[in-house]
Amino acid sequence: MKRIKIPVGPQHPALKEPISLRMTIEGEVIKDADIRLGYNHRGIEKLAESKTYIQNLYLTERICGICSHSHTTCFAQGVEALLGLEVPKRGLYLRTLVAELERIHSHLLWFGIAAHEAGFDSLFMYTWRDREVVMDILEIISGNRVHYAINTIGGVRRDLDNSQKGRILEGIEFLKKRTGYYTNLGTTEPTFVARTAGIGLLPKEKAISLCAVGPTLRASGVPSDVRKDDPYAAYSELPFDVCTADTCDVLARVVVRVKELIESYKMIEFIIKNLPSGDVKVKAPRRIKEGEVVSRYEAPRGENIHYIKSNGTDKPERLKVRAPTLGNYPATIEMLKNGYVADIPLIFAAIDPCICCAERFVEITDSRGYRNIITMNEIKRRYPSRHINKDYIWPL
Amino acid sequence: MSQQLADRINEVLMGMVIEIKVPAERRIFLTVSADNLLDVIRKLRDDFGFYHLSTISGVDTVKNFEILYHFANSQCCITVRVVIHRENPEIISICELIPGAILYEREIQDLLGITVKNIPDPRPLLLPDDWPAGNCPLRKDWSYQAPEEKIPGEKK
Repeated sequence: MKRIKIPVGPQHPALKEPISLRMTIEGEVIKDADIRLGYNHRGIEKLAESKTYIQNLYLTERICGICSHSHTTCFAQGVEALLGLEVPKRGLYLRTLVAELERIHSHLLWFGIAAHEAGFDSLFMYTWRDREVVMDILEIISGNRVHYAINTIGGVRRDLDNSQKGRILEGIEFLKKRTGYYTNLGTTEPTFVARTAGIGLLPKEKAISLCAVGPTLRASGVPSDVRKDDPYAAYSELPFDVCTADTCDVLARVVVRVKELIESYKMIEFIIKNLPSGDVKVKAPRRIKEGEVVSRYEAPRGENIHYIKSNGTDKPERLKVRAPTLGNYPATIEMLKNGYVADIPLIFAAIDPCICCAERFVEITDSRGYRNIITMNEIKRRYPSRHINKDYIWPL
Repeated sequence: MSQQLADRINEVLMGMVIEIKVPAERRIFLTVSADNLLDVIRKLRDDFGFYHLSTISGVDTVKNFEILYHFANSQCCITVRVVIHRENPEIISICELIPGAILYEREIQDLLGITVKNIPDPRPLLLPDDWPAGNCPLRKDWSYQAPEEKIPGEKK
């Protein structure tokens, strides 16, 4: 059969970043995939070299609009290590609290998108409604819904009082109940399981050799989590388990994230009940002597790493940022191979940057030069039910 | 604990290590020469379980270029540093050992103008296709001059 190339992207209203996917297909089967980046390159690493450390804290916050806290924490703890600053315990606990709340909001957002791509729109609306609860909690703590700006070099900028603690616990209690419902729904709803099981396979060896990170890696059965392996902030004192699943498909990625939600609730309750007293920050000097540091952080999408080199002034010599999504692209190509065109949105959504929702056209040119334009909705309508595997065992 | 690991790495790599430092718990910085890079990475991967490449950072130190390979396993994060000449910036690709390195290698090729030999896919990663050759944004001697804005038909 003749191979055809189709472009998906680069502009797509629902993507967090514009990205171009080029699929080589044979019939309906994807034989090869290619990813092209750079449509949203903002030169942040170059810009960071001309800004002070405090300015860079706000710059790194704007790298991502969903896991903004992960970049500031990663940057701030790196700078603190360069300065040899000891952050007060209460500050570290509050930093961890916001980090876990951010993970909840990010996973709920993702879960909604995955449900939508799987054709289960009521679940999408449920999860996004419940996500408002955690967004409100973040607003109560920091005053902001997206860029919390709670970190500063040497600690956090805002403290927590008792009425806020009560509101947080109430919200978490509600979310816990809802997540129990989702776990039940996701595991027993036959259409949802049939749509996600066996799709986007990423075998364990491939996940390791392609350096996948985060829930994508853990869904292939590798128990790797920076919070456990390389504990930062308050994680060495918190009770939690690393969540894995071993079916290596989209369903496993759903399971890992739902399990992580439950772990996050546990951690937040522990933090609120065992919040140490004292200051939330220490004063940090503006100039940093020469040095270099590698700072790692487990963002909702996986390992986030910053390399910071200082040169004795108040500006860094070099700031290198590797966000988790970049680490997952080589693995995504592997997942797409031998899949179906109809699975592209679902597989891509499963690593968390998502091709979804809006109108998008796919142009197919056959050997005679005949062109046919198919909208994304049409592709979705043609979702086949050929992935039903009767021997499938639910990984929970 | 990281100090013990560093001592063992020093022992296994015998003579290939130029410098090894343990600045903090779970952090090791290792300097090797560019000729030994593949051997060092193979040993680290097979003998110490450093399968996961977190990223590759390129640093312009004005005198030289430094390339840092950040590896991690469940115990430690190790950074392998290679210093290369500024006049002839070349490095060997590690994709045969770590296939996941491809995007990071393409990135340093783009932004620092370092040639990666044997790279399976040498296309630019981030810069546009019509980017003028010889412009490497992350080099210290490169700066961006925004072109003067001209609105057609405006008053002189």
